[in-house]
Amino acid sequence: MSGPIALHWAPQAASPPPPPPVVPSWSPVELIESIGVPHGFAEYVVWPAVQLALILFVVLTAVAYLTYLERKVAAFIQARLGPMRVGPVGLLQPLADGLKLLSKEDLVPAGADRFVYLAAPVLAVTAALGLLVLVPFGAAWGTVTDINIGLLFLLAVASIGVLGIVLAGWASNSKYALLGAMRSSAQLVSYEVALGLALVGPLLFARTLSMQEIVESQRFTGLWWVAVQPLAFVVYFIGSLAETNRAPFDLPESESELVAGFHVEYSGFRWSLFFMAEYANIIITSAIAATVFLGGWSMPGLETAVSWIAGTDATTPLYSTAFTLLSIGVFAGKVLVLVYVVMWVRWTLPRYRYDQLMDLGWRWLIPVSLANILISAFAFLVAMRPDQGGLLGLVEVTKNGLWMGWAGTAYFLLVNLATFAMAAWLLAKLNKTAWSTDLHALRRVEALRRAGRLATAEEARAE
Amino acid sequence: MSERRSIGSVLSRLLLVDLFKGLAVTLRYNARALVEARDGADPTQAIYTAQYPKERPLVGERWRGAPKLNNDPRTGESLCIACNICALVCPVDVISVGQANREVRDGEKRKKKKVLTTFEFDTSRCMFCGLCQEQCPTLCLELTQEFELAVESRAGLVWDREMLEKGIHVVTYKK
Repeated sequence: MSGPIALHWAPQAASPPPPPPVVPSWSPVELIESIGVPHGFAEYVVWPAVQLALILFVVLTAVAYLTYLERKVAAFIQARLGPMRVGPVGLLQPLADGLKLLSKEDLVPAGADRFVYLAAPVLAVTAALGLLVLVPFGAAWGTVTDINIGLLFLLAVASIGVLGIVLAGWASNSKYALLGAMRSSAQLVSYEVALGLALVGPLLFARTLSMQEIVESQRFTGLWWVAVQPLAFVVYFIGSLAETNRAPFDLPESESELVAGFHVEYSGFRWSLFFMAEYANIIITSAIAATVFLGGWSMPGLETAVSWIAGTDATTPLYSTAFTLLSIGVFAGKVLVLVYVVMWVRWTLPRYRYDQLMDLGWRWLIPVSLANILISAFAFLVAMRPDQGGLLGLVEVTKNGLWMGWAGTAYFLLVNLATFAMAAWLLAKLNKTAWSTDLHALRRVEALRRAGRLATAEEARAE
Repeated sequence: MSERRSIGSVLSRLLLVDLFKGLAVTLRYNARALVEARDGADPTQAIYTAQYPKERPLVGERWRGAPKLNNDPRTGESLCIACNICALVCPVDVISVGQANREVRDGEKRKKKKVLTTFEFDTSRCMFCGLCQEQCPTLCLELTQEFELAVESRAGLVWDREMLEKGIHVVTYKK
């Protein structure tokens, strides 16, 4: 009885792992070099500057049009038409809004901490826009940079943005703003935990923190991590709603209680900076979700589509360009779908009460994500090859990523069901004493109690 | 909680069935807003918004709006015979009719006839009951379908004969 248990029936991964999928080698850096720019300068200064300018332009335009989309979605859901007057079907509305906001007075309330008050929106928007550097918009040259702790860096910098909100609330010298900021920080603390823990699940499968390699790992395995980690995806999505202060978690700016929350006192362009930060944050959290769970810019059939346009030689500039542009399109589509879901949820669900928010974060999301990590890690360990420390040999860890055959995929899909059942059981145990929100049941019970009280009172009177 | 939950209710709570029902409703409305025609052909259409002033709303057939003095379409003269009934019947006294006796030649005969000189209609106090319109013996005074009665000064609310005969100017916008 020594050594690991050897199971003779354990299937080895049926076929040897395939070679890594193609990545085009050409990049526009070569184009810049061909006009006489020295290599290092072209690669590390000129080309990134061009990329950043493009990304900033595209994303800021997208942010402006997200406000338009938000208003349209809200209107359609509420059986209205939304903006219709500026331009055809109101398409120039963001421009008109921008001009209006730019020409408004920049007020600083009396008694405000002037420097902090003026700096807070800048901080919020800088944190949001700074993150764009690391988002893998597309394959090959569609990404500005790729660092090996990409996801960690993204999460770290994303939480700086909340500092802007907190400072704005503090510096405004207004009770509404202060309350909004207070709620925001409490919300951040409780949901950041669930958010981070939810991302651990797919990282078990991706085995890297670099954003580009997370996409590549899903491409190599041929599976989006949402298929093996649906519970983590749901938790991440809910957590990201709370992180970006979107309904149903928009307590920091809850209109009906706090007027506008942390930005009550802001006006003009500084107010619009907060708005820009909010929408940029939506884009970024959706981009992270798309990258980690939905395969980023990869898509089954992407390579085939590229080979129709540009042949099969991966080294040509045409192939590289077609591949990059198509992958950017795929990524944008995925992000847009997620952004739409965020808006759809906002205009459907009412806001949580403060205690319900804390309840959801601490009693439901964090236990679920912890349970998910434990069960997934255990299942993963069991499924690995015996010589790599596992048991069943359904999954093989190669240097390009995970390789699992049909058996492995089926195994992880089954594990999902088990995870769901166990998480449900755990939550039922944990929240046995939780306050019920089933109002019908509560009313029924209350009616029964009252009837009981009346009956005893009648008896007492009779005696 | 004294009542025990059934498996079905527990499952529907876990799978967030009610939440997805709500989301389905809003998604359906969103899709219908994009697809449906807004011409009123379908009585259950999602969006009823009229793009006023580019689309003029259809007011009721018996709508009582801006007053108008009609002319005889053949001769172009006013139909009003200055009988003063409208002014008498008006419950809030918004109408004052100015009249004069004129000698009119009818063939060889000369006869005296009451003719209309001025007509004032104070729309600021009018309650659009329509009694004047009902009593008018020559169908001269009419409350039309127009409803844009706002003006920039209080004096402008008192309409003289010229305004009443021409009707108000309504700006039409291209769609």
